[in-house]
Amino acid sequence: MKRVVHWWTEERRAYLLLVLPAVAVYWAVMAFPTVFSFILSLTNYNGGPIFNNPNIQLVGFTHYVRMLNDPYFWISLKNNGLIMAVSVFGQIPLGFLFAYVIHRKLVKFGDFFQTIIYLPCVISTIIVGRLWQSFFSPYGPFTEFMQKLQPGWENELFFDPHLAILPVLFVILWMYTGTYMIIFLANLQKIDPALIEAARIDGATEWQVLVRIMLPALSGVIVTACILAISGSLKSFDLLYAMTGGNPARRTSVLALYMYDNAFRHSPKYPLANAISVFMVLLSFVLILMVRFTEAKFGGRE
Amino acid sequence: MKDQRIKATDFHPALRAFVYLMVIVFAMLTLYPLFWLFISSLKTNTEFQLNLLGWPRNPTFSNYPTAWRLAQFDILFVNSIFFTTVSTLLVIAFSLMAGFAFAKIRSKATTFLHGSFIIGILLTLQSIMVPLFLMAISVGLYDTRLGVLIPYVGMGLPIGIYLCTEFIKSIPDSVVESARIDGASYFRIFASIIAPMAKPVGVTLAILNVSGVWNEFMLINILVSRDALRTLPVGILKFSGALASDHGRQFAALTIGLVPMVVFYLIFRNQITKGVSAGAVKG
Repeated sequence: MKRVVHWWTEERRAYLLLVLPAVAVYWAVMAFPTVFSFILSLTNYNGGPIFNNPNIQLVGFTHYVRMLNDPYFWISLKNNGLIMAVSVFGQIPLGFLFAYVIHRKLVKFGDFFQTIIYLPCVISTIIVGRLWQSFFSPYGPFTEFMQKLQPGWENELFFDPHLAILPVLFVILWMYTGTYMIIFLANLQKIDPALIEAARIDGATEWQVLVRIMLPALSGVIVTACILAISGSLKSFDLLYAMTGGNPARRTSVLALYMYDNAFRHSPKYPLANAISVFMVLLSFVLILMVRFTEAKFGGRE
Repeated sequence: MKDQRIKATDFHPALRAFVYLMVIVFAMLTLYPLFWLFISSLKTNTEFQLNLLGWPRNPTFSNYPTAWRLAQFDILFVNSIFFTTVSTLLVIAFSLMAGFAFAKIRSKATTFLHGSFIIGILLTLQSIMVPLFLMAISVGLYDTRLGVLIPYVGMGLPIGIYLCTEFIKSIPDSVVESARIDGASYFRIFASIIAPMAKPVGVTLAILNVSGVWNEFMLINILVSRDALRTLPVGILKFSGALASDHGRQFAALTIGLVPMVVFYLIFRNQITKGVSAGAVKG
């Protein structure tokens, strides 16, 4: 009897009970749906009971082909790409600039500016979306300002399919620059001030300090910021949902919204929505691996 | 001893002016829309149409009670507070428990289990909304409190487990070992030694989770359709969509929705910024 229970030590029992709640919840609602989504994307399941349903059949990659042939898929992907570009080439450099300026005390009231610049990040995206929608709308202040500058200016920001994404990109830039500022600021503060002082005494200019000391010290953080920006830009949903709803003519759609439309608007197309979801997961991992690869190749010194 | 800091005068005046301009413009882009929102919420619809930008001639708070009543803000607040508190407490408890096991109890399963959480840090939550919705329907958790709560706990766990494991690893092994020699069980060690020591990481997690769940919109929007379960973001969007032309009340509703997070932010500013930089991990 004793031999049988030998492996069931107090240590193992404790381990199991301690990890069980977290593992059970996480696997049920995060890991399993990812796998589940992949399986459903290969079937024709479109609602109704999942188990013992004789009508469910494997249909292979049909839905992926349908997705790739849908023009709205490409419009959404392009918008995700634009958001990614604004994040990586807009938010990160601006965030760094603000962090640098505040850390080096180039402006007075750094604390105040830091608080204000980060403020948009704590407000609900829904409220931000509604607020800016009103702000840019024909009855909003933006129209008023533009008409003062240029009498007779017509506000077609939300009607012109080519322009409609611009306010969204602006709001995304405005909203998340603060996050990167906070991240860079926290890491700038970790650099030993004595190191910078020594460099300055040896005659290094501020520019050299920035390029030779600060940027190398932050290279690891910059990689992290890029990964966050890339995965963050695939997450865009709430803001567009509240601000444009993907319109006009679905020109401001993004992948998540495109998936939502296929699943929850009009008649449901769950298999297609699942195919989009799998595509999004794969895309985010591929992009992150690319950043990692670049980091490994060109060396990110921490 | 010279001053450690480089003086601002080391920089070219034109550069400084440019930098000032950038920072001020960016700050104005936040302050002005919020200010405009607030003064517009004090106007009647007639006044709003005649006087788009200016200070209201007859400021009135009458939009607020109407908006509160029509949008059922009491229900929205109760639900938001409920989901935020309960999910935050569970995330902290589960993360500390699992983090303790991962950091201090040797097991072959740790690499795999801990790794699965780390992948989750970068998982795009948006990509699981459809399967999650289908699962909720098939197990009967659609439109229930539990059906919202479980995903909310699940989405907070990856970063929670990462931070807790790292933190508990930094507690010396000898603390656990000597308690073991004294005959304390692992649960005893967890409850009386580890949990009290882990207070700082608990605060960080609370900050990250409160702001995450309070503002969460996507999941609750698809997992719930009953009015009685709506939270602030869902309720505010429904209200402002239905009353898009009723500007004063719409802006009053947005202002009511804004205030709690802004107050929370102004009070816990330092902890929030610390939490954000601690939570910025690439997985």
